[in-house]
Amino acid sequence: MKSRCSGSLIAICVLASFTAWGQRIQPAQDIPSQNPRAQNAPAQNAPVQSGSSVNGGDFSTITEPTSEGIVPKDTIIVKGAWSSASDSTTSLPEAASLTNNVFTDEYFGITYPLPSGWFQKFTPPPPSDSGRYVLAQLGRSGSFQLGQSDSSGSIMFAAQDMFFTPLPAANARQFVSYSRNHLPDYYQVELKPTQTTVGGQPFMFFAYWSPDAELHWYVLATQIRCHTVEIVLMNRDPKAMEELVRDMSNKMKLPAEASLTGGTGGGSVPVCIKDYAAGENVLERVEPVLTQQRHNAIPVRIIIDKQGQVRHMHFLSAYPEQQKVISDALKQWKFRPYERNGQRLEVETGIMFGAAPPAVLATDRTTD
Amino acid sequence: MTRRNIRILTLTIATLFLAGTAFAQINDPGVRSTTGVNAGQPLASVSANPADLAFFNAGLGQFNEQQTVTGDNPGLGPRFNLDGCGGCHSQPAPGGTSPSANIFPNVGPNPQSQAIANGLVSSSTNTIPSFVTATGPVREARFPFFFNANGTANVNNPNGGVEDLFTVSGRADAGTCSLTQPGFAAAQAANNLIFRIPTPVFGSGLMSNIDDSTLLKNQAAQAGNAFGVAGAFNRNGNDGTISRFGWKAQNKSLLLFAGEAYNVEMGITNEIFMQDRPLPGEDGAGGTGQTGLPANCLNLAKIGYPEDITHSNGTDASSSASDITLFKVFMEDLAPPTPSTTVPGGSTSISRGRTLFSSVGCAVCHTPSLTTQPSHLTAGLGNATANLFSDLEVHHMGTGLADNVSQGGAGGDQFRTAPLWGLGQRIFFLHDGRTNNLVTAINAHGSNGSEANASLNAAAALSLTDQQNLINFLRSL
Repeated sequence: MKSRCSGSLIAICVLASFTAWGQRIQPAQDIPSQNPRAQNAPAQNAPVQSGSSVNGGDFSTITEPTSEGIVPKDTIIVKGAWSSASDSTTSLPEAASLTNNVFTDEYFGITYPLPSGWFQKFTPPPPSDSGRYVLAQLGRSGSFQLGQSDSSGSIMFAAQDMFFTPLPAANARQFVSYSRNHLPDYYQVELKPTQTTVGGQPFMFFAYWSPDAELHWYVLATQIRCHTVEIVLMNRDPKAMEELVRDMSNKMKLPAEASLTGGTGGGSVPVCIKDYAAGENVLERVEPVLTQQRHNAIPVRIIIDKQGQVRHMHFLSAYPEQQKVISDALKQWKFRPYERNGQRLEVETGIMFGAAPPAVLATDRTTD
Repeated sequence: MTRRNIRILTLTIATLFLAGTAFAQINDPGVRSTTGVNAGQPLASVSANPADLAFFNAGLGQFNEQQTVTGDNPGLGPRFNLDGCGGCHSQPAPGGTSPSANIFPNVGPNPQSQAIANGLVSSSTNTIPSFVTATGPVREARFPFFFNANGTANVNNPNGGVEDLFTVSGRADAGTCSLTQPGFAAAQAANNLIFRIPTPVFGSGLMSNIDDSTLLKNQAAQAGNAFGVAGAFNRNGNDGTISRFGWKAQNKSLLLFAGEAYNVEMGITNEIFMQDRPLPGEDGAGGTGQTGLPANCLNLAKIGYPEDITHSNGTDASSSASDITLFKVFMEDLAPPTPSTTVPGGSTSISRGRTLFSSVGCAVCHTPSLTTQPSHLTAGLGNATANLFSDLEVHHMGTGLADNVSQGGAGGDQFRTAPLWGLGQRIFFLHDGRTNNLVTAINAHGSNGSEANASLNAAAALSLTDQQNLINFLRSL
């Protein structure tokens, strides 16, 4: 039958089509939510409370609190083990930002002006107790939601603190090798770990894909300040990722220390040394006494100044009470000042308090 | 209409049309109804042993028993959410979760919504809270924060305890105990109210019998994944071992889970929780100055404490066991749900969806299977493959799902990876039952601060056909 949709009827036919399709959709049932204002939920008759009004509890009879009494939506107020720092001026790995569509991580010294169309829909989770960071997750129109047909992949900036990694890897090269050698069997390697250059600095480049999902992943990794910094691209179209890599290669700015096996700080940032806070380097030590939560891993990065005092503490994951107790203890630690070529330097190192997470044992497949 | 308005209208309609096109091609097939009820049976090794089967059946009977304040099944109250385990854990079979009268297998309306109609509570002293409806999920309510004296929420004073919906006041067997319901309207107006729905307990004996070392190795095996996922375990504060039951993995064992639920959800004291439970604040917590339940609301069963005991005059295991032991045995011996290989969507779609589930990173948290340790209880629990689809870790799930309730070591945004076995016959999803649409539930995994964002984005990058295969696979479980 010839379509009768023409002229001004097109709009109506289209609308009718949409309505019909909409009827086939199984919408979420309207289940009363915890947001009564959004749903205009009728106010429940507040039960008459016995006794006088008291501070706390659940005995309020006020049904229309002032705005300052409403718990803000979409806000995490009650946090478990979380990241924190002893000061707000020293840069932190997780404090990456997107301003004017430029990705910046001051701690790692990385900047990258995003190509048009890329944005961050969701901020990343906090650092983990194994030193894993997601610095930024970027998508395009249609990303992060099922039911869209035009998702265009993602860019993820991530980092692994090599002081705390559970993997048997000492640097970015070994980290990538481990990932490649332990790739689940539903992926196929498209490019084995290969050295490349991004922003003028050396990176390991490794690619794999899922033949079932028809998705491709590119992993680019280098080491900065004793972290493996990763850029993970995911897309259905490898050509789009190749374009992105070229764009990054041209526009990304990285610190000179970025390296596959080095990346140990220095210059304008502290030198980073694993396990510096051990043995004869520690001149005075006060053990923190954890009285409440004490079964979790508490990774702490510290910067020791040229006099051997702790200048900065970064708790990757700690409960507030742990943060305070450990902070109070670390302030009393004294270290042998670090010297290189007769010069005292600030040094950054890591200390794991609490229960360390399980380490992955090295195997034949660990590294190249 | 001006030409400009026509252009706007046309553009709007076209946009809606495109949006409709995209969403129309992927849908949640809904509760699997053509394969019968695929859950609720005992483990085969339990069925094969008459003594074990009798113990299981005694547990099932106790699980479904309705409690009263006094009488043959005493101890209910003084505050409670319902009068029996089986009322809330009933979809699609005893041990499951929130039921519905209209969705297969049509167990019945939300029993909490019928509390007055059924005579469970007095209408003169109780109302059905607005968030409890006949077609909605069974709900447990919590106030994340205590209130200030002027009725505003005090975000510096976390609460998070369960606020039971009902009181026994006004019941004929409640004596002079006069308690009021919590101020749900005030809490709701202050956005200081969150919900939890019952967790299904099918297969929980297998989950209980996974050694910590297996969980730790599984965690280590996922380290370095490309999805930015890095969970943690909620550990028992006393001995540091991994706890695993409840929405935040806050309970160490099935017996503890049963004992706490008996006390918190039904108000029945037992050998683990020996005292009648006041509400948060009613006990002085949060600086209320309160000193606990009124004297005329204590020992309502008039049998002393605890109301549920191990019986020294029992003649066999079933008649000797306490109620909470029977609950434990029932949960422990419940077999996991049986997935379908063909429904919905056919075997090819389900099989492909299973592969995609791993490829896009869902399996990093939703670990398809873990092996149990040897069992002294029944052969079916030992050295078995538990296809639970969970790592039993807690993960940051972002602002969209955060409830600002801390339990054990889990913070307000952390939740245990929900086991997915039996998903095909669940009606309500997520910790608060906010949706009955699986696609909506998956999309809710994405928000600020969620570990699931990258995996969700990979799933969203699949073709729409493959997204549907993924959904079909999940509904086959």
